[in-house]
Amino acid sequence: MKLDMHGEMILDEYRERLPIYEKIRSTVNDRLRQCLNENGLVVAALESRIKTEKSLTGKLELKGYKYRTVEDITDIVGVRIVTFFSDEVDIISALVEKLFDIDWDNSVDKRKKLEIDRFGYMSLHYICRLPEALCDDPSLTRIRFELQMRSALQHVWANMQHDTGYKTDVEIPVEHQRSLNRLAGILELADEQFSRIRKEINDYRRNVQSLVASGNFDEVPLNGDTFRSYCELRPFKRLADKIATINQAELYEDSPMPYYNVLVHMGMKTIGDIERMRLENSDSAYQLALIQLAGTGLDIIAYSVTLQNLCIVTILKQGFGEAGLVRMFAALYGESNYNEQRAHRIYEQAQKINLV
Amino acid sequence: MDIQIKNDNGKIMVTLDGRLDTSNADKFQEDIAPLMEGDKPDIDIDCTNMEYTSSQGLRIFLMLQKSVMARSGKMVMRNMNPQVKEVFDITGFSNIITII
Repeated sequence: MKLDMHGEMILDEYRERLPIYEKIRSTVNDRLRQCLNENGLVVAALESRIKTEKSLTGKLELKGYKYRTVEDITDIVGVRIVTFFSDEVDIISALVEKLFDIDWDNSVDKRKKLEIDRFGYMSLHYICRLPEALCDDPSLTRIRFELQMRSALQHVWANMQHDTGYKTDVEIPVEHQRSLNRLAGILELADEQFSRIRKEINDYRRNVQSLVASGNFDEVPLNGDTFRSYCELRPFKRLADKIATINQAELYEDSPMPYYNVLVHMGMKTIGDIERMRLENSDSAYQLALIQLAGTGLDIIAYSVTLQNLCIVTILKQGFGEAGLVRMFAALYGESNYNEQRAHRIYEQAQKINLV
Repeated sequence: MDIQIKNDNGKIMVTLDGRLDTSNADKFQEDIAPLMEGDKPDIDIDCTNMEYTSSQGLRIFLMLQKSVMARSGKMVMRNMNPQVKEVFDITGFSNIITII
């Protein structure tokens, strides 16, 4: 099908404005990326495109009569944000509303358009303009662009619809339509469940943090989350500072998290067990550091050396000997020839300070 | 401290030879400058002939490790003699740097 004169006129306008479209596309893209970063939001995708001439021609062939000029076509510049969770769409749309001027009359929330017994395309489409503050060229503010926001599962659905030709004019059999609709319902349910589970995990983490902060350590079971919260209280700082004084050393703040596995291997069940280890064995851990570091001139130590020495002295005091240390090093670094040599060396040092 | 750097099909093979201390730490830092460049570096440091490292050496290895991690790469140090390994162990640096 050939375009009529009106269609050709719009196509000419489009060709003339391509550099402007590109400027809008890149400005919107950069500004959105910056905004997401500033707000600590991680998204599955941020993509943008300019409608191709072929695609625009197709659109004009079908419904060119609807447009007076090219400015009436609002999706020549298109931007899409795909979030991991469906509830993040609302967060991002609120940011978008602050960033750009929204043409509310032409924006549509397809999530709200579906009937209660229908499932299908769910996405938030905003028709926007760049505000003057973001443009060095005032003519850019006249041109509208489309910004789509949807979750990853809504995105999957949209792509499947597209690939199956579900929305084309060709009628597909009812049983296939029904299958696709069933699938849309499942994806919507999965989206909701992901958001719900994430919220529950976040609530759990907040509860754990407050429980740890309250100091009722015996009531806090040891797991990765509780150990992280406990470490945030910097329980080994005093020991670290004391060890650092041996050589007036700089303290490098590394993470004690690798010791979580060791503590589990040692049979610790609660944060209270770690706290007892700290209170009962800090002096011995310092003595071990003293015999190791004094006179070496080594004036940098890692914060994790505190937990390292606490675990070593606890294992030795519990009578597990060199074999216990080898198991500890294997849990930390994997099987290695170094482990036995190191365990033997430490055992000899421990004998000198009457630890064993 | 002598250092050799070779690129073996994308893997960066580094060989260290000698003592690393205050007297040669600055020179060593200059020598390893090529290791501070490039995306996703895969660095393998052979320490068979490394005789000793001081705190200055530890700081340089730490700086290199942080740079490698920031570039989503990996770095291992291997074949340390017991004296050098002891330095990494008693300072807690064995918890930071992968030693095999």
